[in-house]
Amino acid sequence: MFKKSMYIIMGSLVIISMLLTACGTKTAENQIIIGVTDQIASLDPADAYSTHDWELIRNTGRTLLRWNPGTGDLVADMATGMPVISDDGLTYTFTMKDDIKFADGLKLTAPMFAGQLNRLLTIGPSCPNDVADTLAIPYVESITAPDDTTIVFQLKSAVAYFPQLVATAPYTPAHPDTFLASECVLFPTAPFYGVGSWFVSQFTQNEQLVLEPNKHYTGDLKPQADKIIIRYFSDPQTMALAVQNGEIDVAWRFLGPQLITELESTDGLTVGTVDGGAIRFLVFNHDMPPMDDPNVLKAIASSVDRDAISDSVYSGTVNPLYSPNPPGFMGATEVFDTMYQAPNLEAAKAFLADSGYDETNKCVLDLWYPPEHYGAETSAWMEIIKQQLEATGVFTVNLTAQEWSTYVPALTGGNSYQGGVLGWFFDYPDASNYLDPFVYNGGMGTDVALAADGSTFGVAINDKAQLLLDLLSAADVETDMAKREALYVQAQEVYADLVVTLPLFFQAEHITYRSNIRGSSDFGSPETLNIGGNVEFTYSMLTKEP
Amino acid sequence: MSPLAIIFTIIGIPSLVLLIYILIRGSTGLRRYILTRIGLTLPMVFILGSLVFFIMHILPGDPVSSALGPKGTPEMVERIRENLGLNKPLIAQYGDFLKNMITLDFGNSLVGGHRPIIDEMSERFPATLELVIPASILALFIGVIGGTYAAARRKTARDYSLRLYSVIIYSLPIFWFGLMLQLLFGVVLKWLPISGRIDPVIGTSLEHVTNLYFIDALISGNWSALASVIIHLVLPTFTLGLILSGVFVRMTRINVIETLQADYIAAARARGIREHIVVYRHALKNAMIPVITLIGLQVAILLAGAVLTETIFSWPGMGSYLVLRISSRDYTAVQSVITMFALLVAVISLAVDIIYSLLDPRVRY
Repeated sequence: MFKKSMYIIMGSLVIISMLLTACGTKTAENQIIIGVTDQIASLDPADAYSTHDWELIRNTGRTLLRWNPGTGDLVADMATGMPVISDDGLTYTFTMKDDIKFADGLKLTAPMFAGQLNRLLTIGPSCPNDVADTLAIPYVESITAPDDTTIVFQLKSAVAYFPQLVATAPYTPAHPDTFLASECVLFPTAPFYGVGSWFVSQFTQNEQLVLEPNKHYTGDLKPQADKIIIRYFSDPQTMALAVQNGEIDVAWRFLGPQLITELESTDGLTVGTVDGGAIRFLVFNHDMPPMDDPNVLKAIASSVDRDAISDSVYSGTVNPLYSPNPPGFMGATEVFDTMYQAPNLEAAKAFLADSGYDETNKCVLDLWYPPEHYGAETSAWMEIIKQQLEATGVFTVNLTAQEWSTYVPALTGGNSYQGGVLGWFFDYPDASNYLDPFVYNGGMGTDVALAADGSTFGVAINDKAQLLLDLLSAADVETDMAKREALYVQAQEVYADLVVTLPLFFQAEHITYRSNIRGSSDFGSPETLNIGGNVEFTYSMLTKEP
Repeated sequence: MSPLAIIFTIIGIPSLVLLIYILIRGSTGLRRYILTRIGLTLPMVFILGSLVFFIMHILPGDPVSSALGPKGTPEMVERIRENLGLNKPLIAQYGDFLKNMITLDFGNSLVGGHRPIIDEMSERFPATLELVIPASILALFIGVIGGTYAAARRKTARDYSLRLYSVIIYSLPIFWFGLMLQLLFGVVLKWLPISGRIDPVIGTSLEHVTNLYFIDALISGNWSALASVIIHLVLPTFTLGLILSGVFVRMTRINVIETLQADYIAAARARGIREHIVVYRHALKNAMIPVITLIGLQVAILLAGAVLTETIFSWPGMGSYLVLRISSRDYTAVQSVITMFALLVAVISLAVDIIYSLLDPRVRY
């Protein structure tokens, strides 16, 4: 009797589960599901300052200029062409196309756009993520619209890379009914509309965000799919399994090196590698012994073998970096390689000998690092660096791990640590964003130019540092691209000679997708779903084969 | 009305009515006991909340610096700290925390979008509830059936097998067990989904009322959503439920064995009552009383298990929220979640004690 009942129960459970499986999963014809482990911090263009938030804002909005998918080429988007720049480089005038509409049909005029951009300048600094204080207020004096299609930016000082700034997410028009003039609206209630290819039709916090095509979009990045669903994961391992069993079509940021290696050998999946702009480097405080001695810094630069880090810790999934300016950016060189040819232990010993250090009088270095923030692998490669430095026989290295939130202000404040690890990802894809922050006014703790209140550049600690400041500040305003590139090449020479920081490696981004997902062959890099070096993911490029 | 408020209304009002009824109609001893327990619950939550507050603040690290990273200037850090009240003296912050705890206004998150924590919990609490309820039912079902079955066949191969099962399953690391189920049923067999609460495409058609997707799908008559919710529940429920079932198997077995040795069981057998009726109708009923007490004690373990299960299955509940906020040093959110968990454990323990006293009138406090 009991056995019979059990068989009936078990049989029923099997049938129910088969029925549920059949009707509980829905194969979407042209709906593409993209998995991410990011979290949304803000969807307000006047506030958002994270890569994922920007990605959403850029797919639902447009800017006057944009980067063509798959490349770093800056082209006109809402503007009819490139801006007219005044002779003094202080005024940028754009003419807008007159057919720009929000997804709800509201027409965007230049005065409306100027109003929204002024919102960035006025309420931006009081918003939680405060993008305005980094990408707008230091540059822009005023924004006006003399007529319905003209928009004029008056700058505080000439900036050659202003076109790149204008192409970033904060310069996206926001819908005036959703993003009110007087307050930051970090999480608007869906649906909400931009002027881009897509609009947000549904948004369930921490679960998913649904994008549908903007029927009023007139640009050349028209959506190919019926719907894009962004699915949020709390664990990269789960996201990797989800793309394997087809729950999601694309697994985007972030999957670690180990998961990527596993997915590369999985049938039915393609892993695209984007040589992105995330770099790792050592920062030295040039105002603190022994890092105030150029010979010590040159000895360090001569000792560190980047290939060993890449091969032994990352199985070759990161690339050695020989300039603070990564490959693909204006004027990028491999100056640290040509100058120091590391590992060159004899050269390192010679530099140290010039400063009176030898096996009996060792140079003691205190290096700090955050154990988790840049990945659990950080401890392993810092240990390798320690071994490489100590292989000279003249360095003694003390490694100390420090929790991230204590570590950051201590390192970049410039008063606590001799040296430590830092990572960087650009705000706008330009060489200036990789060089200026580490030199100007304290330079994130490098103190190559000592911080001075109210100063942009600070006070150079020596003649070479002054030369570097001069070269970089000249490159900032140079509008002739050939001359600008030459300035950056020269600046990198001085940078490497000073060893302002020691570039170590740059990390690629990986995108994993199922075999029925395609990028567009009309734009660059279809194999990475048209994600180029600027790590911009344009969802309109995606198609899904049945 | 927020989903959290709806859930509290649905569960809270009938519970309150029942409590008032028991207080009016119950015995003096029971009444005194319930009032004492309620009286003790409040200081317990207060002490726990205060401990978490001070531990989180003593730990090194600043949430604002952590969130801004190297791009945050000292001025930006200072302004945000001021906006969030983090530059106040610790004692003033503690005062704010106590005031907020009393009014159940947990304040705003310190990181990300600085959203009100009550909103974040309102979105996530139903997900946790939707996971722990079926997991508890499963654990109890397997535990009671398995434990009784083993007791009735004491010292046979089946009894040993079930005892072995209970030890092994309880000692398995939950994250490893969850991953194995994901690999087997998700990746290899492709029978079941391994993440989330509902299929993303079907989820777009579901109207969110209570944020309990099972209920939302049911009340809106969205059957494909209901099916999707159920199949998404299978793996997380089994991961959490099976792990917890081990202790229930052991507890039920021991109690049923003890009960089966009682005189009234011998009398029932002597009267020729069939064995399965003796075991499942007479013995099990009495053996269940200590098991009910165990349910109350297991709530805290259930919530701790939910933290790991939610992370493994990308289940957007309170557990995964807690993990996320601990890693970003979000004091306010961590304090709030732990306070909420403490309240939940206290209320369920109280409810179990009341049920216990109602089931067994011999119990006096």
